[in-house]
Amino acid sequence: MTSTIDRIAHSNRWRSRSLVEKSALAFGLLAVSLAFPPWPTAAGVLAVAFAAALAAGVSPGAWVRVMAPPLGFVLTGAATLLVSVGADGIALAPDGLSAAAALTLRASAATAALLLLALTTPATDLVAALARLKVPAEIVELALLVYRFLFVLADTLAAMQAAQEARLGHVGWRRRIRSSGLIAAALLPRAMDRARRLETGLAARGWSGGSLRVLTRRAPVSTAGLSAVAATLLALVLLGMTTR
Amino acid sequence: MSLIRAEGLTYAYPGGVPALDGLDLTIEQGRRLAILGANGAGKTTLLLHLNGTLRPAKGRIHLDDTPVAYDRAGLLAWRRRVGLVLQDADDQLFAPSVFEDVSFGPMNLDLDEAEVRARVEAALAALDIADLAERPTHMLSFGQKKRVAIAGAVAMRPEVLLLDEPTAGLDARSAKRLLATLAELEAAGTTLVFTTHDVDMAHRFADEAALFHRGRVIAHGAAKAILTDAATMDRAGLDPAGG
Repeated sequence: MTSTIDRIAHSNRWRSRSLVEKSALAFGLLAVSLAFPPWPTAAGVLAVAFAAALAAGVSPGAWVRVMAPPLGFVLTGAATLLVSVGADGIALAPDGLSAAAALTLRASAATAALLLLALTTPATDLVAALARLKVPAEIVELALLVYRFLFVLADTLAAMQAAQEARLGHVGWRRRIRSSGLIAAALLPRAMDRARRLETGLAARGWSGGSLRVLTRRAPVSTAGLSAVAATLLALVLLGMTTR
Repeated sequence: MSLIRAEGLTYAYPGGVPALDGLDLTIEQGRRLAILGANGAGKTTLLLHLNGTLRPAKGRIHLDDTPVAYDRAGLLAWRRRVGLVLQDADDQLFAPSVFEDVSFGPMNLDLDEAEVRARVEAALAALDIADLAERPTHMLSFGQKKRVAIAGAVAMRPEVLLLDEPTAGLDARSAKRLLATLAELEAAGTTLVFTTHDVDMAHRFADEAALFHRGRVIAHGAAKAILTDAATMDRAGLDPAGG
């Protein structure tokens, strides 16, 4: 699932749009969905977030697949509002249906708003932006390295697992547990080895232990983009105000 | 005048495994030098000595006939002139995108932003991967990663490029394309030193060959002559070219 989001984040049409525009839209939608009654504002937010994802080139199927897991949690939570537990036992809650519907609507709108940012912006762009918000460089660099080597280690893990399976290491739960333990034990020294070789590679390119500086290409903020974001949010706010 | 001269290099890995045993090697400018030898002969260990990653227990290295210095300034000056590309590109690529990764070396040279940008773009063009600039490094194929790793070294404009098994793991066509790219770099003035197990490739591509055996160079000279000499090759535990 994470790799689906990662893949879309890197290949969507809004990838090169300024992070300022994208986060203004996402957090603006989030704020609107929380500030006004769910109907009709949250429904509007949900519609805008979905339309924006489509505009960014996310396929409807992929959007639904990524939305499904958090929506599962939302529905489970909302279901508990339908009933009330009292002295007489469990009964249908008065107004339970409308409360559950309101919660579902608001939570899905908020999720869709943040998902819009996740689907159009790679995690590394978000982390890199933290540096501009004065988060210490060490923390940002560490996060970026962790992200990078997550994929390398995941490949190693998959290869080791396949090798064990080829030698019947995962037949039966007892062997499965033992084999998984062996992998976990083998992965640490591999990661250490990898780190040592990475250091060699970085030093070969003139790094002498300080900050890992690279030249980042930042997308310029477009006035047209920001105006569109502002107009959309304003329309939703007006919708919320008139029905309050 | 030799570009790099190694004299009597001796080195053992922690645990006492000897890797280099009084190794001598001279690297002339503008050559393509192939280093061959059986597994464990000391090829990679030598490359790590030639850019100052490892320091010999005995022996010394000269750059332009001047002994190298192992202090911070000395190493930086050394690595500015001698680039290294590791065998596994995943050991080298660390930045989120190709452009950023290739910019790492030039940034460490403290160049201004316009110059860094120009060098990155030139290196990407030289390696024929300009279209990958914005690609995340974890979404590249094996061959693409290899090219990005080389571009990362090339962007520093080194005089010598050390490559550890540049064609290992590449399919025949990709290997051929990579060698063509390396030939262009050499034509533009970069001296190439590479290790390989591919005797036939070395025979076709290199103009000099050095055979390693147990941490020493047992033969060094014209690639065409050495790599076809069955007796010499046998001493290094290798089969001659074209066999």
